[in-house]
Amino acid sequence: MAEQIIERPALPKKPFNPTSVWLSGWLALIWLIIFDLELSFETLLYGVQDIFEYFSRYSRPNFEDLSRYVELLGQTLATALWGSTLAIVVAVLLAPFAARNLSPNAVTYRIARELLNFMRAMPDLLLALIFVAALGLGPLPGALALGVHTAGFLGKFFAESLERVDNGIYEAVTATGASRIQLVMYAGWPSIQREALGYMLYIFDRNVRMAAVLGLVGAGGIGLALHDTLRMFNYDQSAALIVVILVTILTIDYLSTWIRGKLN
Amino acid sequence: MAKIIIKDIGKRYANGFEALKGVSAEIAAGSFTVILGPSGAGKSTLLRTINGLETPTAGSIQIGEQVVTQNNLREVRSQVGMVFQHFNLVDRLSVMTNVLTGRLSHRSWLGSLLYLFRRTDLDLAHDALIRVGLTEKAWNRADKLSGGQQQRVGIARALAQQPRVILADEPVASLDPVASEEIMGLLREICTRDGITVVVNLHQVELAKRFADRIIGLNDGLVVYDGPASGLDRVTLSRIYSRNGDQVDEQLETMLAYA
Repeated sequence: MAEQIIERPALPKKPFNPTSVWLSGWLALIWLIIFDLELSFETLLYGVQDIFEYFSRYSRPNFEDLSRYVELLGQTLATALWGSTLAIVVAVLLAPFAARNLSPNAVTYRIARELLNFMRAMPDLLLALIFVAALGLGPLPGALALGVHTAGFLGKFFAESLERVDNGIYEAVTATGASRIQLVMYAGWPSIQREALGYMLYIFDRNVRMAAVLGLVGAGGIGLALHDTLRMFNYDQSAALIVVILVTILTIDYLSTWIRGKLN
Repeated sequence: MAKIIIKDIGKRYANGFEALKGVSAEIAAGSFTVILGPSGAGKSTLLRTINGLETPTAGSIQIGEQVVTQNNLREVRSQVGMVFQHFNLVDRLSVMTNVLTGRLSHRSWLGSLLYLFRRTDLDLAHDALIRVGLTEKAWNRADKLSGGQQQRVGIARALAQQPRVILADEPVASLDPVASEEIMGLLREICTRDGITVVVNLHQVELAKRFADRIIGLNDGLVVYDGPASGLDRVTLSRIYSRNGDQVDEQLETMLAYA
């Protein structure tokens, strides 16, 4: 028995598992950050009571002005809808140029891609601030900000879907003597129809959430009202506005998830 | 309706692979030609150079009186229908719209943006569907059809072009024997009745023998046989299908025994 065990060939050396090194490195890093940012857990501990006290001020939502809130909510939804429509139009026009297999040449492709990247890189909050400064308070700067920012996303999504379409389908339509525009219209868009609808719904869903926040920087709608009541320490009305916003966002979120589920 | 003149065609891909090493053939107007050869012999490449889906690195192609160049590709393609192994229909469009894509070269970009066609286009598409026997499926989505039916839609799309030439790249390789028979019969009938020049790439020797007027055997980018189907004996077949100059190939022997 004993000899047999000795006879067994030894396993090769166990490879080094780096998890523990990464973990301790990470712990050391966040420990250092606490000192660097002077984060104080004591303040947090003592502050918990204050936080609860502050939130308790919102415990009596006042729905007296509900009809006005609903109207403002309508304004926010309209802002989101206009922003999304603008995004869809821009994305539909740019996406074929930003798809490697449909773009007429490398230069056009690069320009379209970088344009989309630029739009995506501009945060909509920043865009809203700029447009509010240029155009004044109201839903228009909000819609523009949402449109520009999400056109960048939608354009990229569309372009990548167009690139994933089976090359044989593009080839078959090209082989009939179709032009580039016809190729996009008859082979490109129909093939990604369902995906594209899903993306558009997602963008609208996201824009409703963002439109409510954009009001806080002056871009109209229910967010602007919330901004005003918060400034005036009008907790009951603020609470009512927050409830209205949350209910709407959740409803739209469920709705769009449901529709996207149906599409697939 | 149009003869095809293939003159010293060579094709070297960007990765250095030389698919065609100087292929010449003159294909008579209204004839039915089958190209045979092992996988990788250059059959697909040859067919695709005819309508400019591949640009040859040497030689020239002439269809009817027209030499194919980079500048007249759309015009050439509008006269050449193409049928593919995987049908390559636009899945989400109806059968009718797929057939109508055969008319695109005759429509303006503005009309295409709005998915508009003329009455005459609809009539031509309708006739094409009658020819392939799929009238009742006109408004079904293309991806709801069986493989054989999808290939018939592919042929209808080519017919709607009112082509002078139809190229078919392994049109029956994804189909069962019954559907294969149907598709080959349909192509043969189109060739005979409409006088359209048909060139087909095939893997099935037996189908080639039955349907073709003329067989071109391709091996390693060169023509190794060019003649009538009756000339396909064991010696020619072994020359067409020989691999890397093997003298005795057992697999080949087995295959030929059943051919």
